[in-house]
Amino acid sequence: MDVDLSPLTDNWRFLASGFGVTIALSVISAVTSIFAGLVIALLRMYGPRWLGVALTFYVDTMRSIPVLVVLVWIYFAFPIIAGVTFPPFWAALVGLTLHIAPYASEIVRAGIESIRPGQTRAGLAIGMSRAQILRKILLPQAIIRMLPAFGSVLTMAIKDTAIATVIAVPELMHRAETVAGQSYRPVEVFTFVMVLYFLLLFPVTRVVDRLYQRLAHLGRS
Amino acid sequence: MNLDWNVVWNNRDALLQGVALTIGLTVATMALAVPGGILLALMRLSSNRFISNASLYFVEFFRNLPLILVIYWAFYVLPIATDIQFSAFTTALVALVLNVSSYNAETFRAGINSIRKGQMEAALAMGMSRRQAMFKVVIPQAARRILPVVASTWISLFKDTSLVSVIAVGELAYTAMQIRAQSFRVLEMLTAMAVLYWLMGYPQAKLVDWIHKKYGVKE
Repeated sequence: MDVDLSPLTDNWRFLASGFGVTIALSVISAVTSIFAGLVIALLRMYGPRWLGVALTFYVDTMRSIPVLVVLVWIYFAFPIIAGVTFPPFWAALVGLTLHIAPYASEIVRAGIESIRPGQTRAGLAIGMSRAQILRKILLPQAIIRMLPAFGSVLTMAIKDTAIATVIAVPELMHRAETVAGQSYRPVEVFTFVMVLYFLLLFPVTRVVDRLYQRLAHLGRS
Repeated sequence: MNLDWNVVWNNRDALLQGVALTIGLTVATMALAVPGGILLALMRLSSNRFISNASLYFVEFFRNLPLILVIYWAFYVLPIATDIQFSAFTTALVALVLNVSSYNAETFRAGINSIRKGQMEAALAMGMSRRQAMFKVVIPQAARRILPVVASTWISLFKDTSLVSVIAVGELAYTAMQIRAQSFRVLEMLTAMAVLYWLMGYPQAKLVDWIHKKYGVKE
């Protein structure tokens, strides 16, 4: 089997800009998902009952539908209802956030619920309001515990951006398909991209693992 | 906007076949990935450095790659590397098994490690062999802790089977998108696809929650 790396050297700028899009899309969608997840979790825990029921339904729905289906629906079907079209990048950002935010919300909920109820009672006993207790007692402790899990959200986002290739977001996976198709050298191109993704994801998961070890004992009450 | 939902009913046979293939692919992958995961976990726990490291590298490699890339890679590289033409279904199965086995291996290893060392030592002190101690004492206890995690992996796998549509395996996502392309009924077919996944996935998600409640480790 002969190996020809010229498609990679000829198209390195094209692939590098795809890598940039992958990083931008995954970081932005991880951040939006974490904020949306925080809001969803707080509304589920402290909001009105009907909203809690609706949000639980939304969270469970996103757990049961593949991200591919969400992305394809947002990009191809939603414009038919709404009458507006999104560029692929924005459709992917919306789709990924819709899909990842429920996971982030479960992390937030578990983090807040892991703080012993005695702390809330103590706060109430000294006359703090529920909002004060949340802001000054629960969240500072809970967020430290959530940090490593938020790192997992980032790895999840990086992996899911590769799926955005099906709606033609110009990220690394899509660029790789283009180069592979034009050069008829899929083995070299996909193997190279595989190494790139690994080099991107492996350090992130290592840091997340370290965070779990370093932070697991912090904020323990 | 005029919608014609008849297109969904008229194509029910094709869609149901897609559903069947989605379920079949999920079951077949898990059936292979559980033994695969056990094998990798036992290799990892082996005292032989070489075997242990081989398992470590394999697991870390496939856990740190997007599945869709592994599917493409298997599609293009497997036939060239092995000189055998695989069907799209087999290729999809190989990619999914590689991915899920790695996740299962981590689950099983963590489950086995979560059983206190004293249990193994006690079994050895009673004169059991390492193998007996592993299979009669440690693994039965670990299995209970592993079950909820494997159930979560099952849901992920069920959803991930939709990704093999990119190499034209005729499961639900591929079938629905094919009908969409032929009929130009985009909104109807994509909504039908989402609803079909929901109908299958929602009960599974609820079942997983129940398993977590019943068997989850509480500290």
